[in-house]
This record gives sequence, C-alpha cells and structure tokens, in this order.
Amino acid sequence: MTVAAPTWQADALEQLASLALPTKRDEAWRYSPHAKLSQLTFGPAAALDEVPSDVEAQIPVLDGPRLVLVNGVVDPGRTNLGALADGVVFCALSEAPPPAAARLQQTHESPDDAFSVINRAYGTEGALVQVSGQVDVLLHIVDVSVPGATHNASASRVVIDLAEGASATVVETRIGSGTGFGGSNVRTEITLGAEATLEHIILQDLPASQLHIGRVDVDQAASSTLRARLFNLGADYGRVAYHVHLVGEGARAELSGLYFGFGDQTLDQQITVVHEAKDCTSRQSYRGVLDDSSTGIWNGCVDVRPGADGTDSEQSNDNLLLSKTAEVNTMPRLEILADEVSCQHGATVGQLDDTALYYLRSRGIRKDEASRLLINGFADQVMDDLEHHGVRGWVTARLGHGHE
Amino acid sequence: MLHVDDLTVSIGGTPILKGLDLEVGPGEVHAIMGPNGSGKSTFAHALAGREGYDVEGTVTLDGADLLAMEPEDRAAAGVFMGFQYPVEIPGVNNMYFLRTALNSVRRSRGEDEISAREFLKVAQEAMDLVEMKQDFLNRSVNAGFSGGEKKRNEILQMAVMQPKLAVLDETDSGLDIDALRVVASGVNALRGPERSMIVITHYQRLLDYIKPDYVHVLVNGRIVESGDHTLALHLEEKGYADFLGEDAELTGASA
Repeated sequence: MTVAAPTWQADALEQLASLALPTKRDEAWRYSPHAKLSQLTFGPAAALDEVPSDVEAQIPVLDGPRLVLVNGVVDPGRTNLGALADGVVFCALSEAPPPAAARLQQTHESPDDAFSVINRAYGTEGALVQVSGQVDVLLHIVDVSVPGATHNASASRVVIDLAEGASATVVETRIGSGTGFGGSNVRTEITLGAEATLEHIILQDLPASQLHIGRVDVDQAASSTLRARLFNLGADYGRVAYHVHLVGEGARAELSGLYFGFGDQTLDQQITVVHEAKDCTSRQSYRGVLDDSSTGIWNGCVDVRPGADGTDSEQSNDNLLLSKTAEVNTMPRLEILADEVSCQHGATVGQLDDTALYYLRSRGIRKDEASRLLINGFADQVMDDLEHHGVRGWVTARLGHGHE
Repeated sequence: MLHVDDLTVSIGGTPILKGLDLEVGPGEVHAIMGPNGSGKSTFAHALAGREGYDVEGTVTLDGADLLAMEPEDRAAAGVFMGFQYPVEIPGVNNMYFLRTALNSVRRSRGEDEISAREFLKVAQEAMDLVEMKQDFLNRSVNAGFSGGEKKRNEILQMAVMQPKLAVLDETDSGLDIDALRVVASGVNALRGPERSMIVITHYQRLLDYIKPDYVHVLVNGRIVESGDHTLALHLEEKGYADFLGEDAELTGASA
C-alpha cells in the first residue's frame, strides 16, 4: 500500500535543501557538540537485513506489549503487541486504523530547528498509542539505532493520545548497537484529554559512539496529569527537549529526571513548560551526577502567559560533580506575564559530602563503596515515587547497583 | 584493651588535645566529662579516624595500632563511635546501610557475609532494644529523623555491629527524658565483659542511667582528674570551676 506523502512531510523534505544546523548562538543548543552533530547523516528509513544480536539483551524486560523499531522500521521479530484491551490502539504508525490515521496529519508545534525538520522529513514510521479508558499494562516502545552504510542516523516518531479521563503508562527505550558513529532522532507528540493521566518514561541508553536527539511535545487539556521521567544515561551526546503546554485549566505536569555522565559524555536536558491557562501546576525536578570529563546541561524554563493566574510552579536541579574536570551548566528560568502566581526555582552544584563519607567509613564501609552508596542515594531520589519495578530495576542495574 | 599514650591532636594548626593518657580494660565503662571546648569530641573522632587531624602519640586496641588505620579498618578492628550529630544520608536505605556495614566488617575479618534471613533476625533484636518500629529500617539513614530517633539509630547500629570498643559522643545531647531512658537502657544491655565503652558527656545526668566504672575530667586537652562515679556527682554539685582554675594557670604558663 502506498500513500502519498502528507504535505507536512513534503514541505520538510523541501526544507532539507536549505537546512542550517543549530549553532552556539541558539540558546537551546549552546553547549551541544556542533561538529559531531553535523556529521550525522539521515535518509529514508531502511530495514536492516539482520538486526544485530546484542539488541535483545539491551531491551529492558518490562511486562506488557512492546513495539520495536530498528533504524526507523518496525522489527516484527522483536515486536510483541499481544492482545490489547478495548479502547487501546498500540501499533506502528503505518498500521494505524483509518480513524487514527487521520490524527497523524496533525502535528503539535512545527519547530523549525534542523533536527525537527529532519524528523518530519524522514521519521515516517514510529509508534501510535491511543487510549480511551484505563490501561493497566505498560506500553513499551523501543527505538534502536544501528549506524548503516547509506546513512548513520535514524529518525522516528511517537504519537500518544489519551482521551478524556483515560490513563496509561508508556515507556520509550532508546538504544543502539555497534561502535560506529551515528545516532537517533525521535519526536514524541502527546495529547492529553481532560482529566487524562499519562506516565511517560524515557530510558536513553545509546552506545557511547552515538548521539541522541529527542524532542517531546505535550498538549494538556483541563485537569489532565502528565508525569514525565527521563533517565538520560547513554550516548556520547544525549539530548531530550520537552515542550509542555498546559492549555486547559487545572492541568498538572510533573517532570523529573536523572542524568549520569561518565567519560566525555554530554547530557543535555531542555525543559520548557508553558502555563497558558489558570490554576495549572508544574514541577521540574532533575538530578545530575557527572564524573570524569562529562558535561551536564539543564536548561529549564517556566513560561507563564498572560491570564494564567493561579499558576503554581517549582523547578529544581541538583548536581553532584565527582571529578575536577566534570562540568554542569544549569539554567533555571522563569518568564512570568501573569498575576497571582507562585513560582519557585533553585539549582545546586556540589561534591560528595565528606562528613557523610566519614560517617559511612566509621561503620566499616570501604571508601569506594561509601562513595558509591552516597552517589546512588543522591541519584535514587529521582525514583522515590516510581512505582514500576521493572523500570526501577533496569535503572538501578544500569547504574551498577540493585539493593531492593 | 585500649591504651592511649600521650595523644596530641591539632586541627588546622590549633592544638586541641595536648597529651592525653587513658587505659581502658575489657568490659570497663569510662566516662569522660568536661566543659565545652575541652576536646571531648576531638578525642572521640581521633579514635574513629576522622580526616584532617594532625595526630601524634600512641593508641592501640588489643595491641593493634589504631592511628595507622583508615576509619573503616578501625571499625573492622572493633571500634564503634556513636556520633553527637549523626549524619543524614537521604536516599540511602537504613536497612541496606546496616547490612552493608555489617558485611563490610565481616569481610575485613575474613568472615562470610551474613544471609538476608540471619540479618533480619539481628536487626529485629537491635530494633527491639531501642524500641523502634519496623518502618525505621525502610527510611533513609537519619533523614528527617528527630533528635531522639537519630540517637536511637546510633545505638541500633552499635547493637548490630557488636563492637569491642564503643565511643559514645554526647549521646545524651538533645534527648528528652524518655528518649534518654531508651538510649541508656540500650547501652546498658550491650555492656559485657568483652566490650569496653567510653561515654563522653557534658552532664552528669546520663551517668544516672549508665553507671561508669571510672570518670575522667578533660580540661584543655588533658585529663586533669580521674576517679570513680562519685567524681561525676562532685562535678554536678560544684561544676568544672575547680579544674578550670588549674586550666587557666596551664594556659597562662604555655602562653
């Protein structure tokens, strides 16, 4: 079945010819590795003859159906959608049933940065989640990047719609294979109906030779709740940008995350929450641990539009630097154009607490193990209210500990 | 058992302990009393191995040179210090911390790690001792604990670690009378012929509950008087004034 490319995709393909990559002067890309980003090459998605054998072992074992994309193409061998409850659509974008397919024509904002344009042009395949009612199972979308011969980077798209009063949990795992240079570019578009509740988790763990560019756009109707969690752990450059619009009164967005860098990694989180309606609540709570010569970037913005009275927002970004050559750039920002708002923000950058280290050592715990305990204790607080044991187990194992 | 000979400690060039001598035999409880700033806490930290101290003199525990050891090795050798200000460690589960501590010293001593089931038994007994509820173990170490809870947690750790030498630094500070009773009875339950204790306190009150075999008065970095528990009663009545006079003279002489 061939379908003519939708106009927005055709437009994006046309724009590619005159595309300018972001530079240092673009605030949201200020600390990005521009030279490396310019070496990413994208093209139409193409299926691999054979998916590398190390992919399966990297996929977190979570209960529930999963959809696996490799280089922007569905991998039927690793995809297992099982039987889904009534009111749930979970499929590849290309398999979307007709009423759902119409939805794919719409987009959220059409950002004009190069990687968003590239995503519109080449991210033709991806995952669709549409839910009315409650889904008890966790829906797992896995995006795998395997640098290829014709182009080294892949693009894909995830669309999540929750109808009024619906609730669901979606985990997006982003991984890769091999030691070659490459990367992935994933755009997620989320629409929450009134009183809908979504728990959305990103596990970014690409190989150290690759780059990851993620963007999540969210529109929230009245009294809806978003809990977005980011575990930004892998890749040479791992970036996820959130653009959350609180459009309906009383909507609530809780965004949190952990970035944990080693070696020369750069881990970049760009968070924008726009309060457009009255009495909305937003929380941004991110923690970073940076070792060796790694760099963390946290650029968090709360944008309170005129008329968004009764806004309640908090931002916090706490960082632990474990080495003299590690670095973090933290920028909590508020732009307030409404009255009667409560906005708090703060950022901290610290080192391991010597007194705490001494306390643990005085109980017989070796210095290296005591350090590890403190580091994990700092990082684990991001997961305090995370109920999904599978996800929690994966993160703790990934960070080299598991004590529960 | 513990042998301290001419111990001097300076912190950032400032002398705090100026030649402290102390002998503690097996099973003995020694109280060290003294006014603020006399060096009581510094003595406790010098035994536990705090970094940043310039330490000279001799400290041995059953013949082993404590001063040459890292804090974790001192714990493995049987030293336990109850902190005056127990450290809050958010995100580190109390139970996990205790088990890691116990297994660390067991490994250092060449013993097998304790099984999860066996550990639960040990932890339960320790909790009963200090009258703690189960949820205590599932909370982060000292994080958000009240003053009394923190001190009870110290005694709980001591009960799990079963040290040869317990050094309790102002364990009574910040405790109301009920918490003091619980902490003191925990300490008393842990007294035994093989376990020595050094109880550091500013007030005599604690010694009503934990009756020491010996009392020492520490003033300006030296032990200036030693006696039995009646010395504490004397201090309660008269204060440190008698000894401070002598201290002033000493300070004058050294200046």
